[in-house]
Order: sequence, then C-alpha cells, then structure tokens
Amino acid sequence: MQTVIDLKCSLPANPISLSPTALIWQDVLAQAITGELLAAMNYTSLSEICDDPEEVADALEHAAGEKGHAAAFANEGRKIGVDASNNVHAKHWKRLREAFLRCITERDFIGCLIVQEIMLESFAVASYARVGKVAPGTLGKTFAAIAAEEEDHIGHAMEILRKERARDEQSFDARLYRLHLEVMTTLAEMLARDCRTGHCEVCHGSCVKPALPDVSLSAAELRGASLHQYLKTLDKLGLPGEVTLTWVAQLPV
Amino acid sequence: MGGSIACIDEIDFALIGHQESWRAAADVLAVLRGPGHTPLPEEEIRDMLPWIPPRAVCHVEITSTCGMRARGVYIDSFIPPDRLGDVSMHDNLARVRGAAACAIKAGAKIVSLGGFSSILIEGNVDQLPQKHGTVFTTGNTLTVSFIVRAIRQLCLQEGRDLRRSTLLIVGATGDVGSGCARCLSPGVKRVLLCARNLERLRRLAAELAATGVDVEIATDPRQFSAHADVVICAASLASPSLLLGSTAPDAIICDAGYPKNLSPSAAMPDAQVFFGGLGQVTGTLHFIPDLHGILNRHPFPDVVHGCLLEGMALALEGRFEPFSRGRGLITPERVEEIERIAARHGIHLAPLYNAKGPLETSLDCRAEVFA
Repeated sequence: MQTVIDLKCSLPANPISLSPTALIWQDVLAQAITGELLAAMNYTSLSEICDDPEEVADALEHAAGEKGHAAAFANEGRKIGVDASNNVHAKHWKRLREAFLRCITERDFIGCLIVQEIMLESFAVASYARVGKVAPGTLGKTFAAIAAEEEDHIGHAMEILRKERARDEQSFDARLYRLHLEVMTTLAEMLARDCRTGHCEVCHGSCVKPALPDVSLSAAELRGASLHQYLKTLDKLGLPGEVTLTWVAQLPV
Repeated sequence: MGGSIACIDEIDFALIGHQESWRAAADVLAVLRGPGHTPLPEEEIRDMLPWIPPRAVCHVEITSTCGMRARGVYIDSFIPPDRLGDVSMHDNLARVRGAAACAIKAGAKIVSLGGFSSILIEGNVDQLPQKHGTVFTTGNTLTVSFIVRAIRQLCLQEGRDLRRSTLLIVGATGDVGSGCARCLSPGVKRVLLCARNLERLRRLAAELAATGVDVEIATDPRQFSAHADVVICAASLASPSLLLGSTAPDAIICDAGYPKNLSPSAAMPDAQVFFGGLGQVTGTLHFIPDLHGILNRHPFPDVVHGCLLEGMALALEGRFEPFSRGRGLITPERVEEIERIAARHGIHLAPLYNAKGPLETSLDCRAEVFA
C-alpha cells in the first residue's frame, strides 16, 4: 500500500531478518499510523474554527502530539524491519475524516470533540491498550504509552462535553446519536469479523484480521474492547445506559 | 432518537439479572436491535456480550391487585452464560458490583439480586457499593416461599402425606437450600442434606437435629437419592449438570436452580419434575421496551423468579428494607411474612411446569386463598 504521508521512516540500509509475525505488526502499525495522522489532520482543522487563542494553541498542540504518535509507531515498524505505510484516504478512514469535516463546516466545536475524543479515541485507547499487552518489547510499550496519553486527551474533553450536556441534555444526546450513526457505523464496519466490503486499503497484502490470532489478538477482541470503552465513556458523560446499549446493539457486525 | 425509551424520572426498585443461555441473550439483543435489523448470529453475540458493561436494559412497571404501582429498571450484569463457574468468580463479582452501582445511580430504593447475582453476593454483601437510600435484598425468602408452597400443594393434589416423605435437598447449605430445610423439615419424616461443604452441612444438620428432625448428610446426592421421594435441587451450578441417580418411584423433584440444576441427560422417567421458585403477577407487569416472554421465558404470562419478585413486592408495600440479607437467615416466620406481602399485591405461586410444558396437575394458584 502506498504511503500517503511521509514519516521519514525508510528502512535501514542493511535490512534485518524479519520475524514470522513482522508482517502482521506491519499492518497493525499501518492502521495505527493512519489513525494518528487522521487525528492530527482533525486537530489542525479544529484549530481553524476555534475563536479563543488558547483553544487554537491546544488544538495545534494535540495535532503535533498525534503526529508524534504516528512517527513513534513508524519508528517501531523500522525496528522490526518493516515499512508501515499509511493511507488516510483509505475508504473507512476517508469516511471518518468526512464526518469530522462536516462538523468543521458547521463550525460545530462540540461535534468535533464528540467525533474525535469520544468515538475515535475510544477506539484508539481500547485497541492500543490490547495491542500493548501482547506486542513484544518496545513495540508493546509504545502502544501502551500512547494508549495512556490518548486517555488523558479524553479526560480533558469530557469536562467540556459534560458542561455542554448539562446545558441541554436532549439536544446534546440527539447530536451525539446523529454522529454515532455516521462514525460508529464506520468504525464497526472496520472492526467487523471480516472485511465484507472489500480491501480496507491500509493493509499491505490481504486482510490482516485472520492472522491476528498469531499475535494473540483478534478482530472480535479489538471490537469488543472498543465498544466497551465507548459505552463506558458515554456512561461517564451521563447518557442513559439503556439508550446507549440499544445504539451499540444496532451497529453492523 | 433511535432506540430511546420512555424516560421515568423516579424509580422504586431495580432488578439485577443475567441471561442463563446464549439463546436468551440473543433474544434480548434482537429486541434491542429492533425489527429493522437482522438478528445477530450467535457467534457475534458470544464475541460481543462479554464486553458490555452492566447497564439498564428496560424499565419495569408493576401494579398490584390492590391498586398500588411501582416502577423500576431491569439491569443486566451481562455475565456471559458460559462463564458462571468458579474460575470467573472475580470478574462476575465485579459485574454484579457494577450493576449495583447502576441501580444506585438510577435512584432505586430497593434492589433485588436475581439468579447468580444473589449466589455471588450471599457471602459478599459487604462488597456491594453502599449509598444511603438504596437497600439490597437477595430475594431468596420469596423464592423459598414458592418452592415450599409448590411442594406442599403438589403433595396435597396427589394425595401424598408429606409427613411420611423423605426430603432430599441438594445445595442444602446455600441460602435457598437452608431456608427450604428450615421450612419443610418439621413436616417430613426424614431429611437428607447434600452440599459440597461438609462443615456447613454438619452445622445445618445439628441445627435441625436440635429441633427433633431425623437428618443425614452427604456430599454426593447419589449416595442417598434412592431413598428420597421429595427432592429440592437448589445448588449453585454453572450449568445444568446435576445427576441425581435413582430416586424413589414417583418422586417429586423441584429444580430451583438458575441456571437449572438437573442435567438434561438425567433420566428420571417416573419422577414428577418441575421448575421451582417462580411466582406470577396477577396485577399488571410491563416492560419498556417490550421484553415480555424474553426476560421471563415461561409458558405462562407474567411469571417471574421469586428473587426478583421479592424486590417488586416490597416496593409495592413501601417497605424499602434488606429483607433477605444473605446466607442462612431465612426462617419459616420470614417466609410467611414475605408470602403475605406478596399475596396482598397479587403475587402468587406460578402454575407449575417443566421442560416438557405445564404439569398435568398444574396448580391454579389464583383460586387459592392465602391461608
């Protein structure tokens, strides 16, 4: 798969011999790098609709942080001898970006936070944490450390979102549901047991999902952990559990 | 907003439960998905359900025959049906605690612990989250009431003299088993107690013997099941796996487990087996969304497990107290008291049935006047 954004992570001149699982990690890293670069693009876009200079600085700082995560993942790929490319134009990621950009067009700061911090970060935190538990050496440590950093981001956004919900619960929940239908449906399709709509355009060869058990992971586990994190985040925001359960139950599989 | 349900500001009770089979879990999720979505395949449900945090699934509204009304929520702990064994005890306790926290957050004044939730909490009441204004009941006293009443009435209906019977209780040292022992022992010829913990068995046997009961103990029910003509199975088993061996001809066997105790391969052709501990609401019972016959999968309408009905009965009565507190405190007096409360609100013993359907000699509990 062609690299869309260059992270200057070309392989060493004398290639090291690949471990049997290196190509699996290559695809896992490619997805993670793509997600981080998309997050960086989202925060950069967000900075353009912020009025408060402090918010602009915050958004740009987040964007730089996400780029740093992408570079760290790319570096981990280089350590195991693979070029983990990225593709922010891949079909699922493109749809996620478009959903975010619609919020930007509407200058919907809260909508942007919901998409990035509640939905995309829930997916990132949960899946990175699972990968962090099973990936070897510094690869695992990097995933675990970035999962922890992303969780801090969510904490910051939660304060803003709780205040917003307290102002008008009904309209906040309606807006969240509308974004859920768009964004979580895409994430659910990405994490489905099989890629039924064809190649995801990020994996280098065939779909990595069937090979994940070779590194003690599974698509079902990553999906379950992500939905768990999402439901817990919505609980913390104060949305009724029976309502969010229905939302999640209705997602595609 | 899709999937939203009626918003009820104030609730009286919460019911904490879990599904006893993947089929039951699939049916619940199918209702939540709604008619516009294809039901999830079982393999997807097996992947997904263990990740769902405890949460409310539906609202429940009950009205009594004397016009009282109580509102509550059913909270599922989402304990996976295949993870009820000891190896998952820690995780399951965490799920019950999470469900209890949901009940507190919802503002429930009384919380009933259904199925394995009460078994897990029997010896761990102190592990539940505490908040002023919310009390917990295991619901086991009303369960005992329904078991005892069913056995007495079935014997009466079949012209048997319970005083000449040998009673075997499997799971005798649990809250439900020991409660049944205390209620029925004085009225039978001989009592056989069976449980895994020998020390607890000895203590219960000594308690009963002190009141003049002819009592024996064993850790394997097959050791003396052939002598029993009335059997109560109230063991906390992770799956229907109990093999009783032979029982007396025409034995009455009450399977009061959740999940059921008796193995489907247990061949007892001459025995009268029924599922015990169930009550029926003769007022009205509503689930929102409509999970009638899904949360309560029985061949009769408005039948619910006694442990859950206890919380509803107490809520209708306005008695927000921890009526059933844990292992070993159920006495005949307490059983009579909860029976009176339940009956006052039109909650009675459910018609009897087993895996094949209603018993031919099924009781008409509605015609019965509480004595």
